Amino acid sequence: MTRIGRRSEPLPGLMAEAARAALAEAGLERPEAIVVATMNPEEFTGDGNFASHVATHMGFADVPALRIETATSSGAAAFYMGVAQIAAGLRRTVLVVGGEKMTHLPTPRVSEIIGRSIDPYERTYGATMPALAGLVTRVLMTEQGVSARELAQVAVKNHANGARNPFAHFQQAVTLEEVLDSRMVADPLRLMHCCPISDGAAAVVLSAEPAPVRVAGIGHGADTLAVRHRRDLTSFTATRTAAREAYALAGFGPERVDVAEVHDAFAPFELISLEDLGLLPVGKAGRATLDGDTALDGRLPVNPSGGLKARGHPLAATGVAQIVECVWQLTGRATNRQVAGARCALAHSIGGLATNNWVTLLERA
Amino acid sequence: MIEIIAASRCPRCDMVVAPPATYCPHHPVAMTPTDLSGVGEIVTFTTLHTPPVGFKSPLHIAIVELDGGGRFVCHGADTRGLKIGATVAIEAIDDVYYFSHLGALERARLFWRRTGRAGDRVNAIARSLAKRVWKGRQRAAS
Repeated sequence: MTRIGRRSEPLPGLMAEAARAALAEAGLERPEAIVVATMNPEEFTGDGNFASHVATHMGFADVPALRIETATSSGAAAFYMGVAQIAAGLRRTVLVVGGEKMTHLPTPRVSEIIGRSIDPYERTYGATMPALAGLVTRVLMTEQGVSARELAQVAVKNHANGARNPFAHFQQAVTLEEVLDSRMVADPLRLMHCCPISDGAAAVVLSAEPAPVRVAGIGHGADTLAVRHRRDLTSFTATRTAAREAYALAGFGPERVDVAEVHDAFAPFELISLEDLGLLPVGKAGRATLDGDTALDGRLPVNPSGGLKARGHPLAATGVAQIVECVWQLTGRATNRQVAGARCALAHSIGGLATNNWVTLLERA
Repeated sequence: MIEIIAASRCPRCDMVVAPPATYCPHHPVAMTPTDLSGVGEIVTFTTLHTPPVGFKSPLHIAIVELDGGGRFVCHGADTRGLKIGATVAIEAIDDVYYFSHLGALERARLFWRRTGRAGDRVNAIARSLAKRVWKGRQRAAS
């Protein structure tokens, strides 16, 4: 993967950089197929037919490439597509590459483009991703008693991890006070609860041959586009469904997970997701985070990469970047953020406001 | 004045959707048109300090559970003192819906209109009061 952050290179260049690194690591010169994930390349970069565009840029014009899009989980969806191609016996090797280039546009324009993944009616009322996350956070704090300190600690922990990740957008720690005092974005959601706007790309090679890491399970869950049609805002049905599918396929449950990369686009989402994934009991994620259970040296390290909060969130790159982090953790290559003896890793990706979510379970072979 | 809000109901699962949709979000069946009274309970709310282009800051957005089911997104003039579970009225101003605190007079009118015979009216008011007390207790307990 590339370093995440403000990057001056065009998107195909970033994706090629990530792909070259993944192919070199796999010792593969040419994949049989390519799956490309980009969320809004037409709007962000002006280019369409993006799978062919990227493949050609990499020198793989004659390798069949297709593009997958499921909003912010596009990277995880592309990985799923790659796994499906291998599992079906259609391909022996698949290159999965996700990327996004956003920082060259003004922030209101970026928000508007990302916001197009929201229900059109809710958008007419000014709903943006932070607005919907604010609505969710209000319920979480009022009805589940999640405290402001618990919420802030998610960002503190993920920044501390990001400070150890040379690929992260933010590589400096923040204090609880800085998070608690940060500007209000969508009351009660503050600026430091939200992930940044980032550029970057990540890639992974899937193979039908035995490899150091194997895909133990993968699951996909869905929910209504409109947030107002959901009965429960303190849990995401799409995550629960995806987790159920992934655990069933793997033949084991959350108890075997040693390390997790969780979609913390907004701090409250990490708490909700840890409970939806069965990694923590319902209503306990906030307390556990404050107690350090999910820290790098805790019982269950969550987002050792820094998560979306600190590693950054280049939309379609994120789902793949999570997989890359898991692979590095499982093969002992996560340098000074290594979780000792990790054998099983979980990656969790949210598309839109939890309309299209993925859970992937990876195991050391 | 209590607004009437157009909605639709799924003949299979009874889910109510506002504004009306062609198909139920959970079943591939055509929905039946229905009307809802513009009164409900606050499910959640937020104040957006950096709203998208075309909206003024601060932008108050709420999800309201309407009487008779169906959850509705609307704007508000203010969220000071607002709590989840509060009863609000919804009014349309230039086709945009706003929630506002339900005054005593409107509350009384609402109960009057909701119920048919005089006896039912008294019952309805008593039930509503009992519900409020019960909710207050639940909140105090939790």
